[in-house]
Amino acid sequence: MKRSYVSVALLLAILMLNIIATQYMVHQYFYENYTNTIGAAIINVILFPAAFFIYKKGVKIND
Amino acid sequence: MTDKNNKIPFNEDNYTHNINRNNERKLDRRGFMKTLVGAAGVFAVSSLPWGVLAAKELNGLGDKKYPKQKIIDVKSLPIGDAVDFYFPGEHDSAILIRLSDEKYVAYQNACTHLRCPVFWKKDEGEMLCPCHHGKFDVETGAPTAGPPRRPLPEIYVKVENGTVFAVGVKRYEA
Ligand code: FES
Repeated sequence: MKRSYVSVALLLAILMLNIIATQYMVHQYFYENYTNTIGAAIINVILFPAAFFIYKKGVKIND
Repeated sequence: MTDKNNKIPFNEDNYTHNINRNNERKLDRRGFMKTLVGAAGVFAVSSLPWGVLAAKELNGLGDKKYPKQKIIDVKSLPIGDAVDFYFPGEHDSAILIRLSDEKYVAYQNACTHLRCPVFWKKDEGEMLCPCHHGKFDVETGAPTAGPPRRPLPEIYVKVENGTVFAVGVKRYEA
């Protein structure tokens, strides 16, 4: 039962990035920098498939 | 009594006693990762409306478009005088003031206190609401005295071939 917590750590990092991007997105929206808002939104959307991928990998290795 | 009720019947990780699922309440590594992926999904979905709104703003869809409307001929409005008109709707009374040869300002002249019409006081150089003596700065529409707390909505004007046109309304910013 040797388990790697690398994928867990990566997922936590993604959660952190999500939080940062979301906060940035909302603030840039109200500062009327709409290009930055869209950039942050795209980052948030891309992070989801990345997280899913990491999850899949992590499950396969360890179970 | 106390002893009778204060007993845990048997040691079990199951508070319902009629549903049996293995490790139902256990959050293992895999379950935790699932939660994290779910959180990422929630973040992704909740970002979409912001992206859409921002794209809308970028394309200028947030600004309402009104057909440009003739207000007055330049030569019938001497410098320092004002004229009333209606823009953008026929009940939205507005005022155009000619400040100098080139400079025109226009506002919707319903006072931001209780919507009395605001007048241009030429000799005092300020806009006055007679109802409760609210005053507005003629350059910006900002309230300077009296009860009003919000600026008058500005109307964009353009001069073409000796005619003054109203072309749009400034978006309200609190
Ligand atoms: S309505 Fe203009 S000051 Fe009250």
